[in-house]
Amino acid sequence: MAAAGLAAATAAVLGVVLLPPGSGAAPADFGAGPPVHTAAVAGTPGAARQDAVPVREAPPERVRVAGVGLDARVEAVGVAPEGDMTVPDDPAVVGWYRYGPAPGSPQGSAVLVGHVDTDTGDLGEFAALRDVGRGETVEVRRAGAEPVVYRVVSRTTVPKDELPPSVFRRTGAPVLTLITCAPPFEPERGGYTANLVVTAEPVDG
Amino acid sequence: MTSRTPLTLAASAGACALALGVAAPAVAAPDAEQKTAMVSVFHGIPGMTVDVYANGKALLSDFKPGTVTEPQSLDAGTYDIQIFEAGQNPDGTPALEKEVKVPEGGNATIAAHLSADGKPELTAFSNDVSKVDPGKSRLTVRHVAAAPAVDVRAGGQPVFSDLTNPNEDTAAVDAGTVEADVVLAGTNTVAIGPADLNLQEGTSNVVYAWGSANDKNLALATQKFSGMESTPNGVHAGGSGAAAASPNSSDAWLAWAAATGAVTVTGVLVARRYAGRRA
Repeated sequence: MAAAGLAAATAAVLGVVLLPPGSGAAPADFGAGPPVHTAAVAGTPGAARQDAVPVREAPPERVRVAGVGLDARVEAVGVAPEGDMTVPDDPAVVGWYRYGPAPGSPQGSAVLVGHVDTDTGDLGEFAALRDVGRGETVEVRRAGAEPVVYRVVSRTTVPKDELPPSVFRRTGAPVLTLITCAPPFEPERGGYTANLVVTAEPVDG
Repeated sequence: MTSRTPLTLAASAGACALALGVAAPAVAAPDAEQKTAMVSVFHGIPGMTVDVYANGKALLSDFKPGTVTEPQSLDAGTYDIQIFEAGQNPDGTPALEKEVKVPEGGNATIAAHLSADGKPELTAFSNDVSKVDPGKSRLTVRHVAAAPAVDVRAGGQPVFSDLTNPNEDTAAVDAGTVEADVVLAGTNTVAIGPADLNLQEGTSNVVYAWGSANDKNLALATQKFSGMESTPNGVHAGGSGAAAASPNSSDAWLAWAAATGAVTVTGVLVARRYAGRRA
């Protein structure tokens, strides 16, 4: 009992000393995260497309990362009034940024986001991303098209205000970007202050 | 939906350079020596196929009414734009002529069109190709028709009002397809449309209301510029903090703490401390 008490006390001290109040720990990063600078891959401003017919991409319906037990329905989302990407309220549902590329697109970053947890304390489907390792297979099922398969190449944790704009790039090499929240958790700053970003590259047919 | 002050520019407008300064930084890259601008041409004079000359050189031939060209890179500077009926000797008297200033780094559309009272004229418009907010699309309407003042409606709601030839109005609107029509200003009398406008996110869409009310050939033509998207401000995908403290977290998640042997206890402490703090 004394030992346990000591451990708890140590933990408490560690909690104070090593962690800023309220923070948990972020998972270890691996792989090269998305580039911070996007100028080189940004679209060409001023390029005009008269009478352009928008490419009708097959929207994603479900995302699976079998290795970590992630299996979630996907719905198309856009932008909230304050300019943030919309995240589905239901933590079991994943949002696809419909203004960007769709999974399976030949170029750009297809973005899927999901809650890591909810205000009621439930864990979100994307909480499983913290267990994702390099080489993990990500499958996206699509409406009216064959599933597309990606392989995880990196996982990085970045402060929310430093989320690289390149994760939303619409040109350049095709990737699937999975985003959720990550510790530190600081209620006085609105909750989680970091984003966990998992990048996956397409597996050639 | 707010409408902003028109960014109208006369052909000679010196202000153009300022307004266009932020426009297409990548455009001039290929040749730093040559300061360039992107220029497109819109033909809005009904019933006349034309050839277009710039400083005596053929720019376009057999150019048909209601069409707009892809932007092309031109050296910045002043151009003598001449419009001839297709196939006419360019040494003769042009049907239309105007000196147009093309500012460095700018993006402009030169419109050949009818004035409000039906006379052919040339107007240079500067195209706003700056970024739009995420989820938005830029809609610009240019009145280049032989017609009185008009209102422009989208989904039955007025977007621009009292627009007169040769002016424009512009606004950032929610991306999506809208049904637009043009009515005589202050009335419900439809002059053009309705027509579906596909306003894609991150694009600039320029709609020309052209033709002649008297000749009953009023029409819309559109010009689309893409690559103006901006990224969302952020992704807020967390709630209670439960995941920060989950007892079944992986080693990776709590890698630092694993080394101390205090993983679970710390997690629980954090969880208790903040559980229920957020609504």
